[in-house]
Amino acid sequence: MGRQSRYEPSSNRISRRDFLRLSGLGLATATLLPACGGFGGSSSSSGSNKLIFTHGPEQSGALKELLDRFNKSHDFEVVWQTAPADSGAYFDKLKTQFQAGGGPDVISGDVIWPAQFAYNGWVLDLSDMFTEEMASNFLSGPVQAVTYQGKRWAVPWFTDAGMMYYRKDLLAKSGVSKPPTSYDELMSVAKKVQQQTGTKFGDVFQGANYEGGVCNALEFIWAAGGDVLDPNDPTKVIIDSPQATHGLATERSLITSGVAPEAVVSYMEQQSHTAFLNGESVFMRNWPYVIGLAADPSQSKIKPSQLGVTSLPTAGGSTGYSCLGGWNLFVNAKIDPDKKDKAWEFIKYMASPEAAKVRALKGGFLSPLKATYQDQEVVNKVPTIALAKQLADQIRPRPVSPFYSDMSLKMQAAFNDNLKGASSPQDTVSTLQKQIGSIVKQGSS
Amino acid sequence: MTPGFESTRSKVAFYLLMGLFIFLTLFPLLWVLKLSLISQGELQASPPTILPHSFSLGSYQRVFANSAFVKGIVNSFVIAGFTTAFCLTIGSFAAYALARLNFAIAKGVGSLILAMAFFPAVAIIAPLFLQFTKLGLVNTYWAMILPDTLLSLPLTVYLLVAYFRELPRSIEQAAMVDGATTLQTFFRITLPLSIPGVVTTGLLTFIFAWNEYLFANTFAFDPTTQPATVAIPNFASQFTVDYGAQAAASIVVTLPLVVLVFLFQRRIVSGLTAGATTG
Amino acid sequence: MANVTVERIEAASAPQHRGGLLRRVTNEFAHPDRRLAYLMVTPAIIVILAIAVYPLLYAFVLSFQFVTPNRPSHWVGIDNYINMFGDPDFRTALINTIVFTVIAVSLELVLGMAIAVALNRRFFGRGFARATAIAPWAFPTSVSAVMWALMFQDQVGIMWYLAEKLHIYTGNILGSTGPLMGAAIVVDVWKTTPFMALLLLAGLQVIPQDIYRAAIVDGAGPWQRFWRITLPMVRPALLVALLFRTLDSWRIYDLFWVLGQRNLSSLSTYVYEGVRISQLDFSLGDAAAIFVFVSSMAIAFFFMRVLGTRPTE
Repeated sequence: MGRQSRYEPSSNRISRRDFLRLSGLGLATATLLPACGGFGGSSSSSGSNKLIFTHGPEQSGALKELLDRFNKSHDFEVVWQTAPADSGAYFDKLKTQFQAGGGPDVISGDVIWPAQFAYNGWVLDLSDMFTEEMASNFLSGPVQAVTYQGKRWAVPWFTDAGMMYYRKDLLAKSGVSKPPTSYDELMSVAKKVQQQTGTKFGDVFQGANYEGGVCNALEFIWAAGGDVLDPNDPTKVIIDSPQATHGLATERSLITSGVAPEAVVSYMEQQSHTAFLNGESVFMRNWPYVIGLAADPSQSKIKPSQLGVTSLPTAGGSTGYSCLGGWNLFVNAKIDPDKKDKAWEFIKYMASPEAAKVRALKGGFLSPLKATYQDQEVVNKVPTIALAKQLADQIRPRPVSPFYSDMSLKMQAAFNDNLKGASSPQDTVSTLQKQIGSIVKQGSS
Repeated sequence: MTPGFESTRSKVAFYLLMGLFIFLTLFPLLWVLKLSLISQGELQASPPTILPHSFSLGSYQRVFANSAFVKGIVNSFVIAGFTTAFCLTIGSFAAYALARLNFAIAKGVGSLILAMAFFPAVAIIAPLFLQFTKLGLVNTYWAMILPDTLLSLPLTVYLLVAYFRELPRSIEQAAMVDGATTLQTFFRITLPLSIPGVVTTGLLTFIFAWNEYLFANTFAFDPTTQPATVAIPNFASQFTVDYGAQAAASIVVTLPLVVLVFLFQRRIVSGLTAGATTG
Repeated sequence: MANVTVERIEAASAPQHRGGLLRRVTNEFAHPDRRLAYLMVTPAIIVILAIAVYPLLYAFVLSFQFVTPNRPSHWVGIDNYINMFGDPDFRTALINTIVFTVIAVSLELVLGMAIAVALNRRFFGRGFARATAIAPWAFPTSVSAVMWALMFQDQVGIMWYLAEKLHIYTGNILGSTGPLMGAAIVVDVWKTTPFMALLLLAGLQVIPQDIYRAAIVDGAGPWQRFWRITLPMVRPALLVALLFRTLDSWRIYDLFWVLGQRNLSSLSTYVYEGVRISQLDFSLGDAAAIFVFVSSMAIAFFFMRVLGTRPTE
């Protein structure tokens, strides 16, 4: 280091100043040390009186309110551990935890996970507790989604469905009296309104390379009468069909026609609602949560009265379909046997009509329970619930597979390539036909 | 390039360029600081405002109300602290042997340690996960401290070798003549005299461990062990990203580093450049 | 840094005369200092063997097997490697990594050199400039990626706004591979150029000023002085900086993972997707892990043996 001394004087002794700085640092670390316990075994085994529950972050405060109520009236405590917001990242974390033989006691999991969880033996079969009779209080779609090989692996907690939001005021200004029912109509209405009102975008949706992009693309495929797996024989892949090709071509044409911005190929929910709530788009495909944001003037430049919501249009098929989203409550297969009853008590509470009402009113969450849709207070206050009530038959689940996460990765990339124009609709479906075919084969062999 | 030959005009040009360099370097930090201090409404504004129009500490309140993030900061300190301590202990032993003691496989050991500087961490993620699972180490601090120690080892050892070899041999020899064993000489003479070098090395190791992401993202999966770097992207709810909280959390996590860098810039620079210049 | 090994070896080679292995080993351990030396390097060796060498060998063995969940794995020879090279996603990851490494490291080198030359003088505020320069380097890459992602964000980000105003790009920067790669390079250049400049500056400062004065007397212009004096004399420092920057870019993971959100792949993210995300592509990812290891070692070997880079001096 000698030759460096011109640049670095006195590097050979520690100055008093440096010493003081270092002691400060050491002191800070030392005061923090007693506050941590991460050296021992897995945290999920902590305390027999605590039940670890995971769910992503929530802005509405509905979950916190329910947890507080539950914990006050019980002699054990449910601790909410915040999971990653992105469903894909959350799944990766859970997979890691399960593989390591740990994980939370009760898991709020995406509607696409039951088959994979069940196949790997990560969650308990709840059929004995979640009986036929209890299930009859739920809508059939969400119950189907938690059923795999004839057994029920979770209890539906809340559901989501794709919806078409539109600007009532702008449509009225352009003399359009009711929202479009087909994509052709949507494109001509959007162009007209864009020209007449100077609105920046005609339509925004979620086209990014992620799970939401799969939901959106599937809605186009379904709207054209196509599907991924044969409904009568789920081992048969049928995505390479003229209908599916037409559906994907329709999705792409929203961009090529100039109705949707080029950037929609990377939009997730956040970018979509930012554009829409800033008043920059006539239409938007999104989930029910947007209703909650629109009511908050600090988040939205448009008022709830300017906003309409309707079912998704068709693309040559008989009707439009909404992708079923939502979350279910699972019990970890490795749960401490003493905690099993507590877990079930908690799940029963969370899936009760009272809890569903709180979540609907406070957060706009769609309930999986039939009773909620009979409750006039909820139906009147939450417009998306009213819409979901009409839509019930048009909400479809994504393909079911014990390797859904791998299937989805392929679909995410392929659908995104189609939307970007990097791959033609025909090539996209034929590539997916092969890729999904080999995944389905692995799952059934 | 040659001081003393320049006119006022070139001096002005120099300071302008230097100002530009400093501005570009600090700009992201200033911008994110701004994002962390404005209201939710302004965060959503398109196009973005250049100068802040509102002031709000709401983002910081949300960050500090988030127990997972606060715990993450504590975890970061623990992981980086222990990694530094381990690395300095193991590293100073190895460095002393390499710098001062004659043994046959010294060259091999030196190369092996150096090879770790070129080692791609991602190559061992999968088997390490299986290993740590068997040993019950996943989701404990150890699952991050051990690999972090491995990856920081080459820097630690090579810096310490350099610092040890800088000491005049005669001091150590004098101690040995007085009857001290080699180990005693190491603990009583070499190590205390090299404290400045040890401090520099420790600072760099601490920064490396604080910043590590791959192992943390793989081996820590709940707030009991997750360091802050992994907690930040979590400031989002299912469909909405809390830009304000992400900005505020970024500021909070980088703050200790900014403080370290400005307090110890001489030492850090000398440690970093040691490898490139002396010899 | 001082020469670690060579002298040592010369001195230590004394007891290594011909003779039986046993005798050599006994000889080696005869001296207490040498016994101590083995003892002192043992912890470091144990850490390396347990955390790096053993897992690496394990990964190597697994790369010749086909592994899927819930089924016994079986030997498949080099099929995993064949499938890996045939996988378009792998080729994309490889090309991305090469493009990123070449462009980012070249930019950092040129800009870093320019800044180092400018900084190579005494001036008011040099300490501040130097601290500023290491600040980005000291930030966690994952956090830098979050910060820049905020700035590149569609509709609300400052970089998105600038790119649109300056007609560079009007779409969503974080959405497609090309612009994302540009963004990743910008972040990497921002983060490591100042660091590169510091390394080069340290190299510049050991060049005696007399040489420049003599050159000026001989009538050499600034460019001639740079090419004939500065560059050759700063070469050792430059190569070391280049070696570590090249390897860091080659192994890039956190920047692509956080900024790219799976829209930008590198070799490391490809490995991670295979072995940690997918349930079916473990074998591909594991083969790629070995590929990353071998290629990294090849790069290091090339720098050290062919270019004569000496990182330990």
